[in-house]
Amino acid sequence: MRYIFKFPDIGEGLDEGTIVEWHVEKGSTVKMGDPLCTMETDKVVTAIPSPKDGVIAAKFGKTGEVIHVGDALVEIEIEGVSGEAAVEEANKVEAVNEEGAGVVGTLEVAGNSVVLSASREGVKETETVKPEKKALATPVARALAKELGVDIDKVKGSGPAGRVTKEDVTSFAVAPPEKNEKFRSDNNDTVEIEQLSQIRKSIARHMTQSKHNAAHMTLFEEVEISELERIRTRYKETLQKEGVKLTYLSFIVKAVALALKKHRSLNAEMDLEGGKMIYKKYYNIGIATDTEKGLVVPVIRNADRLSVREIASEIAALSEKARSGQLTMEDMKGGTFTITSYGNIGGLFAAPVINYPEAGILGVGRISKQPVVKGEELAIGLVLPLSLSVDHRIADGGDTARFMNTIMAYLADPVTLLFN
Amino acid sequence: MYDIVIIGSGPAGYVAAIRAGQMGLKTAIVERDKIGGMCLNWGCIPSKSMIESVKLYQRILKDSARFGIDGIQTGELSFNWDNAIKRADTIVKRLTGGVEFLLKKNGVDIIKGEAKVTSANSVLVENRLLETKNIIIATGSTSVPLENTFKNLVVEPKELFKQRNIPDNIVVTGNTPVSIELAQLFRMMEKGVTLVTSADHIMPKADDYIRQYMESRLKKDKIEIIYNAPLVSENVVWKDGVLEISGKSIKCDLIINSSARKGNLIKSDIEIEVNEGFYRVDQDCETSVKGVFAVGDVNGISQFAHIGSAQGLHVVNLLKGIKQKLDIHKLPMNMYSFPEAAQIGLTEQEAKSEGYDYKVSEFPLSANGKAMSEGQSDGFLRLISDKKLGEVLGVQIVAPNATDMINEASAYIQLESTVYDIAQTVHTHPTVSEIFMEAGFEAVDKAIHK
Repeated sequence: MRYIFKFPDIGEGLDEGTIVEWHVEKGSTVKMGDPLCTMETDKVVTAIPSPKDGVIAAKFGKTGEVIHVGDALVEIEIEGVSGEAAVEEANKVEAVNEEGAGVVGTLEVAGNSVVLSASREGVKETETVKPEKKALATPVARALAKELGVDIDKVKGSGPAGRVTKEDVTSFAVAPPEKNEKFRSDNNDTVEIEQLSQIRKSIARHMTQSKHNAAHMTLFEEVEISELERIRTRYKETLQKEGVKLTYLSFIVKAVALALKKHRSLNAEMDLEGGKMIYKKYYNIGIATDTEKGLVVPVIRNADRLSVREIASEIAALSEKARSGQLTMEDMKGGTFTITSYGNIGGLFAAPVINYPEAGILGVGRISKQPVVKGEELAIGLVLPLSLSVDHRIADGGDTARFMNTIMAYLADPVTLLFN
Repeated sequence: MYDIVIIGSGPAGYVAAIRAGQMGLKTAIVERDKIGGMCLNWGCIPSKSMIESVKLYQRILKDSARFGIDGIQTGELSFNWDNAIKRADTIVKRLTGGVEFLLKKNGVDIIKGEAKVTSANSVLVENRLLETKNIIIATGSTSVPLENTFKNLVVEPKELFKQRNIPDNIVVTGNTPVSIELAQLFRMMEKGVTLVTSADHIMPKADDYIRQYMESRLKKDKIEIIYNAPLVSENVVWKDGVLEISGKSIKCDLIINSSARKGNLIKSDIEIEVNEGFYRVDQDCETSVKGVFAVGDVNGISQFAHIGSAQGLHVVNLLKGIKQKLDIHKLPMNMYSFPEAAQIGLTEQEAKSEGYDYKVSEFPLSANGKAMSEGQSDGFLRLISDKKLGEVLGVQIVAPNATDMINEASAYIQLESTVYDIAQTVHTHPTVSEIFMEAGFEAVDKAIHK
């Protein structure tokens, strides 16, 4: 029997991926779970495992090619059935939706006509754009466009009623309008032009979506954390021996998770169209992580229920996965609030962009020794700068300041983290 | 202050004026003689009426018995020139009246008199100064007069249909469609006709194939053509009804001067550049003076009425901000010969010299049922197409009503059609136009009825 395996919807509304590498050839024998190819999607670079045992009968798509969800990826010859039955089976497979092909648990595989899942995150703007009007063009213009490989819908027509003529196609083919391309690659060595990676495209869309939809407001604060530093120093080495790196961030994650429990508007999402506010009762903290390929945001689940030590190990594990490109969609799903920590690289304050549709993001700046007033005395303090951006549609100024105060109180006196 | 003052009310001028009026431009048209110009009053329309009369005469004479009509004593038939002219005059009156009505209906001021351009923004008509934003000169052309030696023998085309007596032997000068039409007109009246031209060919700009066809057709009609024979005194002697020219003696009682024409340049206080007797214009028919345009015969591009009209419309559209390209290849040429001839687009020679990899698909009228039924199956359609894209590059037709049929080809070319479009266009049966579809099939693969 021939089985056609289509690129599955691996969640989060992704609709395309780029083939990074093929792990099989035509004729290769595969077992269920063997990687077929490595695929870069908007969010992850991940291996796509084979859903069946069998022999690869055909591969669709070359390395570097963009594959859409529902497009055929491979055709697998499954042992035991052959000959005429094979064709029928293959047709049947085409007609029936393949059951979850097992990339990560059970997955729905979208057929060509199936509408993608409604997750708004990462949904391409173009999906809502109506298909472009078919160009009015003369038969010769169409024939010539085909001949020259010109997309006639992109050619501006000079004929009556804007009809595209042969001459328009010829001039388009000679010198297409440059409006979409800032730089021409030919004869220009002052710039280097690279194709956008899926991750970079996703970041760009996501940032624009956030700035477009959320009303950003940022609050800056400083908190003195000598006490936290004292505790951290005290337990650092012990935990190090157990393989846990006790970072400031572990404390901050815990403080934020607990603060969110007290200030629900910062752990909310607005459904403006539905006229609803969604307050989440789970506290999943995303950690913005810098990688070579770009920023990714793995999520620490139920951070409110984890100890600082557990959070520390979780951060270490996720960072390692992020750096080695091993993050899965599961690792990045379902965040409710995000922390971006740039202090170890540089920067005191920032106005971070919200990880839409979350309500807020906390920016953690560079810790430095500063003169502080303790009681009536001037002392050397350890100061942590915090920048909190919120979606002002969801959180008011008062909520925001109170939320910040709670975080600061936890960090100034970290023992209180144990009392909640 | 006018938006446009148009000088001349022939087909180039009056069409532009009506269009300008329709578009809400304040327009005046100046005419020194008759509304409608040469075409309506002395050219296209009366000549076509006369040609139709002689064709009918010939038809009855030659075909009536064959077509099953008894009782016609062909020996007693004769052609009544005066009555034919009366019919032509009636048609002319109706048409010119219609043009005047349309001009008025569209708010165009009609100003009678001789115009003089006094500046790029003013035209003086007798004592009246018209201020205007733009000027369109559409004054047409006139035959270059022949030498005085032949003065008593010569008739200008404009005067032709005022003639009362047509003698037996006629010399028509020139090599243009007008010359050939007039030559055949008189031949069909059973006059002796000779065509004398200073050129070495007839039908300038026509495809060689049509030209050769017409040469043999004229020979069959017993119209002699004398080439390379300018009608000047050192070359020609006329004595007692015989013209000695290029070593030949031709019977000649009347010479119709339809050879060279020159632009009707008008008086002007500003200098408007002229080239060989015509206003020099750019691709949008603008003269050397900004805002002053010249359309129709007077710019020397073509002497076809429809091309003059197209130029007039082009300029008015341009002044209204509608910029289009006036492609000379998209303008058809026609000739009211017998049978009629017409062509559009590239000739085979042009397609070759422009480097096209082209195909010629021909379909003869002799294989067309309707043409046979009509008893006029002499002719053909030739389709010149680009091999790679199938683009229709040119069409040539010789058929009894080729001048009507060519408009189908014009639409194909205007719409940049391919031979596939022609082949797939279902043509009604039986019609002469089916030869388009057949040539289309031939171009794609193979004609059905060949």
